[in-house]
This record gives sequence, structure tokens and C-alpha cells, in this order.
Amino acid sequence: MSAADVTAPPTRRPFTGRRVRFGDVALQVVAGAAALGATVLVGLIVWKLVDGSHLAISKYGLGFVTRVAWNPVIGHELYGAGSFLFGTVITSFLALLVATPIAIGIALFLTELAPRAIQAPVTALVETLAAVPSVLIGLWGILVLGPVLRTDIEPWLHSGLGWIPLFGPPSSAGASIFTAIVVLAIMILPIVSSISRELFLGVPPELKEGALALGTTRWETVRGVVFPYARGGVAAALILGLGRAMGEAIAVTQVIGGGVGIHWNIFGTGDTLGSKVAESYQGASTNLQSASLIYLGLVLLVLSLGANIAAQVIVRRVARRHGVTRGGHA
Amino acid sequence: MSAQGLSGPGLRLDRLPQRRRVNHLMEALAWLAAAIGVAILGVVVWSVASKGWSELNLDLLTKSPIQFSLTNAPQGLSNAFAGTLVIVGLATAMALPVGILVAVYLNEFAPPPIRTGVGLVIDVLAGVPAIVVGIFVFVLLVVGHGQSAIKGAFALAILMLPFVARTTMEVLALVPNALREASLGLGVPHWRTTLSIVLPRAAGGIVTGTVLAVARVAGETAPLLFTSSIVGTQTSWNPTHALQTIPVAIFELSESPDPKDHARAWAAGFILLLFILFASLTARWLATRSARKIAGR
Amino acid sequence: MPKLGTSIRIISAVAAAALLSVVVAGTADAKAAHQATTLSGAGSTFVQPLVAQWISPIGAAYGIELQYSGIGSGGGVAAITSRTVDFGASDAPLTPDQFAACNGCEQIPWALGGTAIMYNLPGVKNLLHMDGPTLAKIFMGQITKWDDPAIAKLNKGVSLPSTAITIAHRSDNSGTTYNLTDYLSSVSPAWSSQLGRGVAVNWPVGVGGKGSSGVAGIVSSTPGAIGYADVAYSLANHLKYFSIKNRSGKFTTPGARGILSAATSDQKPAADNSLSIVNPPKKYANAYPISTFTYVIVPFQSGKATDLKHFLFWAVTKGQTGPYTAKLRFVPLPKSVLVVAEKAIAKIHS
Repeated sequence: MSAADVTAPPTRRPFTGRRVRFGDVALQVVAGAAALGATVLVGLIVWKLVDGSHLAISKYGLGFVTRVAWNPVIGHELYGAGSFLFGTVITSFLALLVATPIAIGIALFLTELAPRAIQAPVTALVETLAAVPSVLIGLWGILVLGPVLRTDIEPWLHSGLGWIPLFGPPSSAGASIFTAIVVLAIMILPIVSSISRELFLGVPPELKEGALALGTTRWETVRGVVFPYARGGVAAALILGLGRAMGEAIAVTQVIGGGVGIHWNIFGTGDTLGSKVAESYQGASTNLQSASLIYLGLVLLVLSLGANIAAQVIVRRVARRHGVTRGGHA
Repeated sequence: MSAQGLSGPGLRLDRLPQRRRVNHLMEALAWLAAAIGVAILGVVVWSVASKGWSELNLDLLTKSPIQFSLTNAPQGLSNAFAGTLVIVGLATAMALPVGILVAVYLNEFAPPPIRTGVGLVIDVLAGVPAIVVGIFVFVLLVVGHGQSAIKGAFALAILMLPFVARTTMEVLALVPNALREASLGLGVPHWRTTLSIVLPRAAGGIVTGTVLAVARVAGETAPLLFTSSIVGTQTSWNPTHALQTIPVAIFELSESPDPKDHARAWAAGFILLLFILFASLTARWLATRSARKIAGR
Repeated sequence: MPKLGTSIRIISAVAAAALLSVVVAGTADAKAAHQATTLSGAGSTFVQPLVAQWISPIGAAYGIELQYSGIGSGGGVAAITSRTVDFGASDAPLTPDQFAACNGCEQIPWALGGTAIMYNLPGVKNLLHMDGPTLAKIFMGQITKWDDPAIAKLNKGVSLPSTAITIAHRSDNSGTTYNLTDYLSSVSPAWSSQLGRGVAVNWPVGVGGKGSSGVAGIVSSTPGAIGYADVAYSLANHLKYFSIKNRSGKFTTPGARGILSAATSDQKPAADNSLSIVNPPKKYANAYPISTFTYVIVPFQSGKATDLKHFLFWAVTKGQTGPYTAKLRFVPLPKSVLVVAEKAIAKIHS
């Protein structure tokens, strides 16, 4: 089987002049319905969330998104997403900041530096971590990471870097924004690392060999050839990792401690959009509270969709630039 | 694709010692990053594995949990294991046919603009956070009607659908066109060609995608919190009731103060992890096998 | 790679067979005992230890499989309102809005217990003294260290470390929170105006835990922590708790005597069957001031009316006896409350 057979998509045959078979129509209709259903699903999710939160939307409007308040006391109810939006943004971005250099370092290491013998085990390790369910990482975060951070790491960071508002007084319980950041960083590390590794491996060898022939050092090759070539893909990987971090609710709710309000000390407690919904939804005491929680979910959905669409657009643009058509042909 | 910074002035020979030093520094940093990364990953995997392994016992699978036990009667998580099997099984049964049909439509019938458009939507669906899917199914099906394993399975099926559809699409595209044309040329109707010739040829890849999707959702907690979390302690296989699942059980046990609860959570988590790893490994093996088959070797 | 393939095939076959046979074998005896009807309930984690003890006797007596999920009082009210469950449980009485939303429900007092204020302070004795205003300041974040003069004054002669106080509160909607904030509102005007009472409040400080066991978990793993939950959780997890100064000046604990004394301060349920026994007046000299009744919420009309009535009649009578309540420090319902409860249960019809 030659490559040529695999490149062109199946030709669309107009059925004029041929007897239209019932089976063809049936299959097309059924399959088309499935495709339609899948397409509609995303819209349905958005619509149902808007519908479920309309009580809060009509009462608070868009101001909800930035208001920093969450007072559930009946008679004084006031809700807003600001505190949790801040929590989502700060945990996800800081987790990405922490994970990216390590992930790209691992990817570079595996593709450029690692001796054959180490490549397989390290790759296997990264993939194993990708397979660990988030609830298990949360369990580890509560029982193993939290105590270590509380007794050793946070006081050490505070004593050394306490002049930066980020590293304020250490928390006295293991649950904090910092624990959540570490947990999220561990979760997105495998994603960014695996995708980067695939991208680095996909750099055409002629480009690298050409650079080496010009007398570059290995670092200059990476900087001048590999990074520019893989730049778009790595950007997409980062955005995907960010999206994953923003959407993670379970592991975060297990370790973040459930606080409201915006403060810069990452050793304090906080909450993200996802974790707030996970912890409160089952027991919302009034319709307004339920609607507000669904509104939080809607804000999260918009954020994740934004990140995801951005990543998809980048991926498709990069694929086109590299002469690869979508659908597995290449 | 222009190589940047590699034109003449950037590669000065007289700066070679400097460039070599920078190179060594960067290599050292890469080694360092890899070492840190491996250390962290290793610590996590090691602690999960060793704690889980040490707490494994048969009671976990054969005994039901006892809420707030005042005695030290043996208990386990048999209801969660049964429930996980039921819910993941049902989710696969829902997602697989729909995913295949979507891929068939996009690959065999749809004009290119629809294929790219719907393909984009499917990829976007893959990025919807699990907790949002949970809220969606809750608002759609659970409010006013109650929880059940079927509704939980539906939520998981939504998460599985993009995986199954995407991998099936890629595998269908790999089936050589010559095969389709030969079949049509022989007078076999289009639908028959697709079902009896193209799909079976792609079967290996489809199974791979399904196994990967199962590995993905086996550990999902958030959607089940909303759809199948008010459960009893007795083991039940009845899908119309809400059934306990391993991830939800681990979630609940993780916040308990009782070290025995933690022990059961580690053990159940270890079994879950082994299952997911095994599924991923199987998927990879199937993928290499089916790639060979499709290409005809 | 034939070797890998064969091993994968063998492993999956063996594992599947083993897993399935073990689980089925394990459920075989469960199946044998599988009950005819299921009654599912959800809500308060405060009452969960007691309800958990009722599961097997109810099964034995009536063939009912009782399922109860502790998702917090707020969750219980939401669940029964949407008829996701057959009964809900809440320590906080329903508001008129919640009654309206529930559309034909009643609340019935079915247990009586006390909220312990637990703490974790290694090397310091159990039953340290505490009073209302000081407790309010602690939960408001105004007292941050254990050796604060206000605490020391109540505990003369005890050497208190300078450990920081970590507050553990509920992150979900909780009837125990309602009980505590009800008490704090009645002893501290500052608390009452700034935070008020409710199943959830805008906690100024502290770490949130899910359910009573989540709070107990934080307290037991954090030296210096203070949290609140039904006293059964302190006992089960060997956590220390305070003895609290009541209005008559006595320091009382959440045991049978203190809770029963508090209960005598309100013997007549209101029209909606609710009772308030928080911070009783000083003539109840032995009262523990953070005690509470807890309620089961049922619809008047239910498809499982017969089973519900069997269960609830049993719960408020036999379920209150020593074997079930004593170890957990729940106190049997007083006679006057029992009469009201039984009348309310009789109203359930199909």
C-alpha cells in the first residue's frame, strides 16, 4: 500500500443517475443524526447552564463575574464569582509557570540528551503519572504533600522569600492555594511534557542536521531550529495544560481549603471555580445559591472553551504550515 | 521554516569557547529539569504505589463498607467495584456506537467543510471540564427525578465520545481508498461497503480508541458526584439505582479522619491505577498491531 | 510483538476472571440478604453516626434496606425537595421558603445531640474551659494563638503553648454550622451582626472541610486546630473537646446530662415542629449550650409511605434506646417531643 492511496479523502459521489438504495440513505441519516447530536451537545451544554443559572444572571448580570463576595446567609445573600475566578487564574497560571520549564526540560532531555537506556523508563514514568486519576493525586495531596508543605516547605519559603507578598505567613493546615498549585503542576506536567516530546521528535532531521553542519552547538540547534519549528505546537500544549488545570475540580477541592476573598498569600486558603462547585453544589440551600453555583460553572465553561478553542486554532494553523492535513493523513 | 539566529554573525568561530559554555550550561539545566521532574514524578508514583500495595487485601473486594462502625468489623468497598463495572460498562455501551457513527458520517459522507467544522466541535467537546459535564447532566436529568447509575454512565459517555469519535475517524481515514473503490466497483452498496468492509478493517483502531476512552473515564469523579453519589452500602448491580463507584469512594474516604479509611482509599486507588495503566498499555499494543493490519502487512 | 500480546491477553483474562469472581462471590451473601424495599435518605452528617447504627436492625425488623448519605443538612433539604431521596435529614429547621419549595413536606424531630468544639493540642489535657464570647472571637479570627490571655484566663493553671490556632469549619451547607452560629449569635453581638446564623456563613478565617468527618479530619491532622462537629465524631477519633460555660456559669460537656438538661429548656415544638435549645437560660444549670434537635424531612405523600412509617416509628422509639445512642452521646427524645413526632409520622400517607 503506497502513501498515495492514503492521502486523498474518499471522493464524494453524487447519486444522480443511480438508484438510491435505502441502506445508503438509512446509514447516512443515522450517522448524520449522530454527528448532529454530537455537534449540538456542546451548544446544549452551554444552553442548559445558562438556563440553570438564569436566576443569578438576571439578578446579578455580568457584575457577578468580578464581584468578590460569597455570603450564603439567608436574608443577606450575595454571590459573586470574583474570588473563585481569581483562584482559578492564579492556581492555573502559577501551576503552568512551575510545570512548563520542567516539562520542556524533560522533553528536551528525552529527545536530545538522554542515553538510550534512560529514555524508556523516564518516558514510562511520565506516562504513568498521566494515568493517575485526579482523585488519587488529591488523596496523595491531603495525606502526603499537605503535611510536608505545612511543616517544612512553606516555613522555609516564607523565611527566605517572605518579602514577596506571594509568600506570606505559612498556613497552619496542609490545605492551601500553594498545595493546589503543586498538585495542579504535577497533573499538567505529563501532558505538556508528552506533547512537547512528540513535537521535538517531529522536527525534520534535515533541519537539525543542516544546522549542525553549519557548526552550531546543540543548544543553538535547539534554540534556532527545534524551538521555532515546535513553537506553535508547544504553545498549544501549554494552552491545553492550562485548560486542564482550570477545569480540575476534584483534586483542587481536596487540597485547597475552601476560602473566599482575594489575597496574594498563596499559603492561605482559597477556592477555584471548579472546586467551589464541587464542594457546594449538592447542598445549595436556596434557588439563588444553586443558580449562582451554576453561573460559576458557566464562567468556568467559557474560560475552558476559550482556552481549548485557542489551542485547536493554533494546532490547525501549525499543521497547515507544516504541510500536514487534518485527519491523520501525512 | 527559517532557522533563526543561525546566520553568519551568530556562529562566530572566535566566540566558540563562549558558545560552548552556554551550551554546557543549557545541557546542565536540561539535566537538572529532568532530574527534578523525574524526582517529583517518581515520588508521587512511588508513594501511591507503595501505600496502595501495602494496604491491599481481599476484604476490599468482598466486603461492603460499614458506615460509622463502632466495632472493628472487617469492611471493604465491594459496592464501589461493582458500581464502577456497571457504570463504565454502560458508558462504553453508550459512547461506542455513537462515536463510531459520528466518525463514519464525517469520514464517509460529509463534505470537507462539515468534516472540519464538526471535527472542531468534537475537539472542543473534549475540552469541556468534567465538572461542567456533571452540572449539565444534573440539570438535564437528575433534578426532580433522582440519581441513577444510568445517568452517571451518560455523563461519562459524554466524556468518552470525543475520544472514540476522533480515534475512529483517524483510523477510518487510514483504510486505503482502493479498498472502498474496489468494493463499490463490484456493485456493493455504499452502506454495505462501510459496514462490512471499512469498519472491520478499522476495528483494531476503534477498539484502541475505546480502551483509551475507558482508561480516561474510569478515574473520573466529578460527573459522578452529581449523578450517582447518594448510594447505599450494599452491593448492587441495578443500573436504575445510584451506585457507588471507586473514584467517588476514594473522594469520600480521603477527607475522613480515620486512618483505616485512608488505607482503603489507597488500596482501591492502587487497583484503579493498575487498571488504567493496564488499559493504556493494552491500547498501545493494539494500536501497533492494528496499524500493521490496516496497512496490510 | 507476540510475547507482549500473549501476556496482555493472559493477564486480562485472568484478572477479569479473578475480579469478577471475587466481587460476585462477595456480593453473593449480600444478595442473599438483599432487601425487598429500599429507603434512601440523605443529609445531615450530625445524625449520620446514629442512622448508621439503625441500618442493620431496620433491615432485620422490616426487610427494608436503608441507605443514607451524609451530604450535609443543606444537601438533605435539596435532595428531598427534588425528591431525589425518600427522606432528608437536617439539623437546621426549614425556613418558610424551604417548606414552600419542598411542596408538601414536614419536619419531624428524630434525634437529640450536642455539637462538640474539638481541638488538637498535643500535651494539653482534655476538657479545657471555654466560654461563648471567647469562642466567638476565636472563630472570627481575633484570637489567633493558644496562649492568648482570654483563653489562659479561663484555664488558670494550665500551661498553654503559643501554637497558632487553625479554625476548621464546614465547606458545605451544614446544620452543625447552623447550630454553632446560632449559639455564637446569641453570645456575641459582634458575631450576630457581622456573620449571623445559617447553614453556611462567610467565615473570615479557617480551612473548610467537607462533612463532619472532613472537619474532624482537619482537626486530627493539624496541631493547634479547633473545629466543630457532633460529639460522636470526637469520640470516634479520640479528639479532645472543650467544656463550655453555660449561662448559669457552669462548665458543661456534650454528654447525656448536659444535652438532656438543655432539652428541657424547650419542651414544646412549634407549629412546624422545630425546637430551639441553644444557650438555654441560666435556670438550666447543667445545660450544655450547643445542643440541638435534628429533624427528618419527609413528604406528606409518598409512594413508600408504609415503609417510611415503619422506619420512622422505630427510629423515634427503639432507635433512641441505649444500644444505639449511648456510645454516640445521643439522648433519647423527651416524652413531649416524642408525642409530637409520632403524630407527625402518622400523617404520612400514600
